[in-house]
Amino acid sequence: MSDRMLTMAEAVREAMTIAMEEREEVFILGEDIGIYGGAFGVTGDLYHRFGPERVLDTPISELGIVGAAVGAALSGMRPIVEIQFSDFTAQAMDQIANQAAKIHFMLGGALHVPLVLRTPQGSGTGAAAQHSQNLEPWFASVPGLKVVVPSNPADAKGLLLAAIDDPNPVIFLEHKLLYKIPGRDPVPEGATRIPLGVSKVVRTGKDLTIVATGIMVNKSFEVAEKLSAEGISIELIDPRTISPLDTAPIFESVEKTGRLMVVQEGPSHAGYINEVIAQVSGSACFGNLIAPIKRLAGMNIPIPYAPQLEKVAVPQIADIEAAAREIVKNWR
Amino acid sequence: METGELILYHVKPGDRVKSGQVLFEVMTDKIDMEVESPADGVIEQLVGEIGVAIEIGKPVLIMQTDTEVMSFDFGGDAPLPDAPAPVIEPVAVQPAAIETPVVASPVVIAPAPVALPPLTNPREIRAVPKARAIAEDRGIDLRTVAPTGPDHTITVEDVGGNKLSEDQIKRQAANKALIAKGLEMTRSIPQISFSRNVKSGSVELTSVISNWARVLRTRPDLNISPKDGSAVSHVGVAVIIESKYGSALPVFKDPDLQTVSELADLFMSTAKSAHNGKVPLAMLSGATTAIFDLSKYKMNSSAPVLFPNQVTSLTIGENFSGEKIISLTIDLRYLDFYDGAQLLDSLISAL
Repeated sequence: MSDRMLTMAEAVREAMTIAMEEREEVFILGEDIGIYGGAFGVTGDLYHRFGPERVLDTPISELGIVGAAVGAALSGMRPIVEIQFSDFTAQAMDQIANQAAKIHFMLGGALHVPLVLRTPQGSGTGAAAQHSQNLEPWFASVPGLKVVVPSNPADAKGLLLAAIDDPNPVIFLEHKLLYKIPGRDPVPEGATRIPLGVSKVVRTGKDLTIVATGIMVNKSFEVAEKLSAEGISIELIDPRTISPLDTAPIFESVEKTGRLMVVQEGPSHAGYINEVIAQVSGSACFGNLIAPIKRLAGMNIPIPYAPQLEKVAVPQIADIEAAAREIVKNWR
Repeated sequence: METGELILYHVKPGDRVKSGQVLFEVMTDKIDMEVESPADGVIEQLVGEIGVAIEIGKPVLIMQTDTEVMSFDFGGDAPLPDAPAPVIEPVAVQPAAIETPVVASPVVIAPAPVALPPLTNPREIRAVPKARAIAEDRGIDLRTVAPTGPDHTITVEDVGGNKLSEDQIKRQAANKALIAKGLEMTRSIPQISFSRNVKSGSVELTSVISNWARVLRTRPDLNISPKDGSAVSHVGVAVIIESKYGSALPVFKDPDLQTVSELADLFMSTAKSAHNGKVPLAMLSGATTAIFDLSKYKMNSSAPVLFPNQVTSLTIGENFSGEKIISLTIDLRYLDFYDGAQLLDSLISAL
């Protein structure tokens, strides 16, 4: 077994490299992804390895980029779109939500749109309201789109390979702060896929179930390690894809712990975690709850520019820790 | 037939009785019959009245059994454990089976039903879902419980949920002692274990139970009587499951002769009643093999333990990548190495 530690940017680049080597139809397009190597350096040297025809620098027009990708996908290519900030997908939403997501259904399954749209999201970089959002609920509420939110390099690699294989559009949301951090687990060599729609039990425990994706998995993991010293045993589940959402491991865990906390960085209102809560509330494991379900999410405000306020606006490690301790101590 | 007339009691309160001893006689419109004791124990109370008809399902007498209801019967000359004196609830002996005496159905043992006081409007009381479930299970009226949770909410602890009762602790200890004693007996048996990953097929527990019985049925010499080691005509699959009193080993007799859905239903109901601490006495003995499903814990054991008077034992495991693994331990006095390997191969092919 390999013990290579990669950052998420390196793991994503490796997945794209493997996919481009495996299939000629795979190509990347986006703003500044060529010679510049991407706004966050994810595409890196791919332009030099695969040339300008497969690593395509585009004009600044998100609608045009995704529209071109949808057309290419319909004619047999497998485009990987990079949108510089997920906030800019708003510009391309007609192509994403009305075209890519629906063509397969509206043409009676005759055509597929095998398109992957990768884009960085999240706060913590001091980039303010228009460059810091977590928009997974936008995409998760559109039937026909799959939504992947990787939390670590190994998962990012395996999930991206599976996303590129997928015959239908996949939105792949990468948290910016994760790009430069090595994961806890090594990244396997080779082209191993991680199937979409399979939750991962990151850590087992018996007192509290935490469901989180993206960077909140890292934060929650740190809390779980810390609280285990106090005798609080936390089970951490990373759904990895929020659409489709694999609820079985969540139900199984809640059945065991009786306590559930869901954590996301995006605003609490209409977040994907509310779907998790709804599903748990409607399942048999509801009867095993020994505590009200705790929801920890960002405030319902645009992400502030001031660094102190930016921190307060989204759950931090200390918030997760306090909430976890409180729910376990209060509900016995 | 809905009733039977009680003719005669053969015992009185305080009598010690042996399993198989006649307890009372009933007369029905089809047959007169003697009802035997399903277990060793002491008669506590005679409930019926001589000459009066008793409805099926109603208790006739109450006895305290010696056998731990949650445990299992090693049979034969297995030593009795030095477990604490049995502390089990009285068991009501019912004439439920007298309608079909010809096929000698076992007498059904059922716990006396607990009367639940009617709850007030449940919305008037604030309680977490699990506390409500526990209260209902134990017949606790939530009106009598003082809430200690936030917003005056009744917590699981308030209904005694997390604590083991003294009775439970005692029974768990007795149960462990009994199993440990049994396993001590088998430790010196020459044995070997085999494992194989299952690449395809259904490795659901009920499917393994049924197919394993089917495989063992082709080898009558491997289903032995605890009394003298001679072959018996049935296959009894003991399945290790969780219960509130520790491991329970209900025995599924001839599960391969049942339909898949019959077996699944029986398994579900048995697992549920075991969870609540009850296994029908009829399912506590007659095991000729054992199965432990570790895959539900995402674990694997490469060496299943042999139980007394059993020649084989299976575990279902799961490896890191979610692949199922079946392991078999055999008693080498009954099976050769290659025999054992073939047995495991037959099971996996059957699956």
